[in-house]
Amino acid sequence: MPKRWSQVEELYHSAAALQPEERDAFLQQACVGDQALRQEVESLLAHEQQAEGFIESPAAEVAAGLMADGEQHSLVGREVGHYRIVSLLGEGGMSVVYKAEDTRLHRFVALKFLPGEMAHDAAALERFRREAEAASALNHPNICTVHDIGEQDGEHFIAMEFMEGKTLKRAIEGKPLPLEQVLDLGIQIADGLDAAHAKDIIHRDIKPSNIFVTERGHAKILDFGLAKLGPQQRRSPVETESVTGPGMVMGTAEYMSPEQALGEKVDARTDLFSFGAVLYEMATGQVAFGGNIPGVILDAILNKGPTPPARLNPDLPPRLVRIINQALEKDRERRYQTASQLRADLQRLKRDSDSGQISAWQEIFRAGVRLNWPRSAALAAGRIGLAVLLVLGAWFAALRTRGPAIDSLAVLPFVNTSADASTDYLSDGITESVINNLSQLPSLRVMARGTVFRYKGKENDPLKIGRDLHVRSVLSGRLAHRDNVVVVQAELIDVGNGSRLWGGQYSRKMADVFALQEDLSSEISEKLRLRLTGEEKQRLTKRYTENAEAYQLYLKGRYFWNKGSEDGAKKGIECFQQAIEKDPNYAPAYAGMAEAYNQLAAFAWLPPHEVVPKAKAAALKALEIDEQVADAHAALGYASIIYDYDWPAAKKHYERALALSPSSPQWSYSLYYSTLGLSNEALAEDKHALSLDPLSLLTNFRMGRDLYMARRFDEAIEQFKKMLEMDPNAPLAHYQLGLAYAEKGMFREALSELEKYAALSRRTPLSLAFMGNVLARSGERTRALQLLAELKEASKQRYVFPISFARIYVGLGDKEQAFAWLEKGYEERAAPLFYLKVDPIWDPLRSDPRFNDLLRRIGLYP
Amino acid sequence: MLTQEQPREVTQLLLAWNDGDESALEKLVPLVYHELRHLAQRRMRLERPDHTLQTTALINEAYLRLVDVHNVHWQNRAHFFALCARLMRRILVDYARTRHYAKRGGGAQAISLDQSLPVAAGRSPDLVAVDEALHALAGVDARKAQVVELRFFGGLTVEETAEVLKVSPETVRRDWRLAKVWLLRELSGVRQDA
Repeated sequence: MPKRWSQVEELYHSAAALQPEERDAFLQQACVGDQALRQEVESLLAHEQQAEGFIESPAAEVAAGLMADGEQHSLVGREVGHYRIVSLLGEGGMSVVYKAEDTRLHRFVALKFLPGEMAHDAAALERFRREAEAASALNHPNICTVHDIGEQDGEHFIAMEFMEGKTLKRAIEGKPLPLEQVLDLGIQIADGLDAAHAKDIIHRDIKPSNIFVTERGHAKILDFGLAKLGPQQRRSPVETESVTGPGMVMGTAEYMSPEQALGEKVDARTDLFSFGAVLYEMATGQVAFGGNIPGVILDAILNKGPTPPARLNPDLPPRLVRIINQALEKDRERRYQTASQLRADLQRLKRDSDSGQISAWQEIFRAGVRLNWPRSAALAAGRIGLAVLLVLGAWFAALRTRGPAIDSLAVLPFVNTSADASTDYLSDGITESVINNLSQLPSLRVMARGTVFRYKGKENDPLKIGRDLHVRSVLSGRLAHRDNVVVVQAELIDVGNGSRLWGGQYSRKMADVFALQEDLSSEISEKLRLRLTGEEKQRLTKRYTENAEAYQLYLKGRYFWNKGSEDGAKKGIECFQQAIEKDPNYAPAYAGMAEAYNQLAAFAWLPPHEVVPKAKAAALKALEIDEQVADAHAALGYASIIYDYDWPAAKKHYERALALSPSSPQWSYSLYYSTLGLSNEALAEDKHALSLDPLSLLTNFRMGRDLYMARRFDEAIEQFKKMLEMDPNAPLAHYQLGLAYAEKGMFREALSELEKYAALSRRTPLSLAFMGNVLARSGERTRALQLLAELKEASKQRYVFPISFARIYVGLGDKEQAFAWLEKGYEERAAPLFYLKVDPIWDPLRSDPRFNDLLRRIGLYP
Repeated sequence: MLTQEQPREVTQLLLAWNDGDESALEKLVPLVYHELRHLAQRRMRLERPDHTLQTTALINEAYLRLVDVHNVHWQNRAHFFALCARLMRRILVDYARTRHYAKRGGGAQAISLDQSLPVAAGRSPDLVAVDEALHALAGVDARKAQVVELRFFGGLTVEETAEVLKVSPETVRRDWRLAKVWLLRELSGVRQDA
């Protein structure tokens, strides 16, 4: 190796190790008198930066790249007609697209070729021609313009507008697009579809890879290759069916409409379904109907709904979810009927979410104050905030003058978007808290928990629910729980016109979780333009505990108790107890405990004398802390009837509860009237309860039961049948329906219902008693006696209401035994004795003086 | 596809080619092309060109399939690596040359590689030009040229290259660094001259 080269090498490495500004001095010194040597080293150093990535990837990679490109570049450099092909833009199964220069007009175009092997396929050729024909009939900013169609040397091509950007598929790449972009692009695509449909052209292959998003954010619909031309567009004698084949499935499986998948005749609505799948993908980043094999995809399209979008992207506004769902309706009659309808909905949502950005500023303002920003920053933020508040104020003032207050509301169960179902108590609990809070407002009718929770876990359309429930507004929301932070996003919709009254997002630390319900409740009452008294306002945002753990335990307690099972009630009591340990002055936790104990007695899960005193003690403790806890008053009212036989006290407690919380139908105020024989008042209460809680089985049951007690058996039977339509396995409906049939002398029907009840309830003592009674009355004494024996056996294992034995004996006509067991029931204060005055089952005993004596003792004899 | 028996066959072919049997090369080319196509397809599926890491892994995989390195006797290992690198250089450059020619297409106006390949623009070096410059470098500093051959064409790591050349990895790194700027200067000179 020449010595000089070694010298260059040494100098190069030494210089390269220095900072660039030090190199000059170094080389000057090192190359004194040898200018050529210095130039040589400097010329090498000059390429240092360029060298960074140079030949760092292996040559095989470079060659593979050449091969990859080469396989696609067969036409690059060639001239086709007056187009000079510049580069490859893309390649699909049906076509290859190049960028080309129009040598006459000196502009770039996109040239789409039919791949060589397809050029001999008549059907493919026809589709190709059709695409040009369809698109050239359309002149719309959101549809890719076709300039020309041609053929040279057997190469068929279409010259189209050249666009820079990428396909929607590439824009999505597995991630949801920002909402603003979803709406912007969605509106444009809908507009393009509207234009095509107006010309009687159906695209039939709408999918993300057929929508181009230019660098300026314009959406362009591409590829009308599968387009179906309406009569006014059909210039050639070729029939549509000859191109696609009758019943032949065309289009891309994932985005196909159900009618396409079935090979049925398609119309414009098919594009709207595919567009719905595209919207879904833009909003969630996921394919709506996916799968590895076409069969799975088709099954999903025909039979299944996609994963609820909010699960994949919790930030989605429910209205967008609704729009997507309506576009994805499998039955095209229920889908959007026109692209313009869909576009209008997207536009409305866009308009509202644009104005919704104001609240984000408000958040910044608040944060600025809270976080003690540097004074100047806080001031600046404050000024923005002030301006925003002024704007908001003006807006609300305008709203206030515009319309009357909205007087009814359904709060749908908040969707728990955390994957963890064990946090359901939070979403359910906050929903329930908001319901209970708002139920306190006399000017607002709030749908009860029992009804709205029937929608839990179902992807439902709030507007439709609102209409079904006859309410003027619907609140829906989602809750996410992450790292000790709870985020609630809620939206209030005016059912009358479908507009969004309000939408907001709250983020709170777990330790501050009670603030969520307060914020929501006051926000909603404000948005509904309710006029509240000072006291009402105060109660709405009242905080019963400052202990976040206690609050969570309370929510958990309600969650378990609401399950309506023995186990649930017991677990609920445990949670309430723990909540009380965290905060001994937490009144609602005591009230919750009282209600749970009452429930254990009402269903004979535990003997009343064991649990009702506990219920009463807990309720009294709650009221001692805070007299305004409505639930505690209601619990006392119930205990007064079932245990104390103190009707005047019951009335007092119920009335106080209702005054505190006018739209809370969960308490059985009707029980008070019904047991006293005041059936009209009872039924009026039931009717009111049903107006707030139409879908609750319990509320419906009370109505039927009170009809039965009023001896309006036919109506009672209708009511129970209605209940069974709602839930064919509702045990309560079966037994009370059976008893109603029995009163009509329809013993066969009665026994059939009671059998069902016995089976559903796994032969509880109550079911044996009812059946024994009816069997005895229908003349089947032997079987009745068998049941009596079974009941006695059962009483060794668990608590049996003494009154249950009395029921069978009264059926058998054994007055002595019937009275004996009723007396025992009186001593044990065993629940259903309070129906003694009205229940038809005791009619055989009424003429006996012992009966009136008993009634007198339990306060039911006038 | 290469079967289990084929690596041994490849080894024989490589040795024959090394002994000057050019017909052996003809049998090797389709095997390399096959792997190249495999790489190209993977690359097309990946869509983006910046997947160097994956691609390097794929190439190593390909070499392992081509040459049964593990069955080669230890003393011969370095020799085989060198042989493979030379083979790859020969085949890849030949391939690039034919592609390049095809693009120029029957004497029509020449379009430079970079203009016609927007995806590769500024990233992928022209293999034919690199090969020519590498010949020139061999005239100045044979070892540096070999470092480039082993690393760039052979896909070897610094350590493997050091093993083949029986020098320290640090020397390989220094050689590599200087060779790259030298080649770049050479390539820019070629362009100026043209």
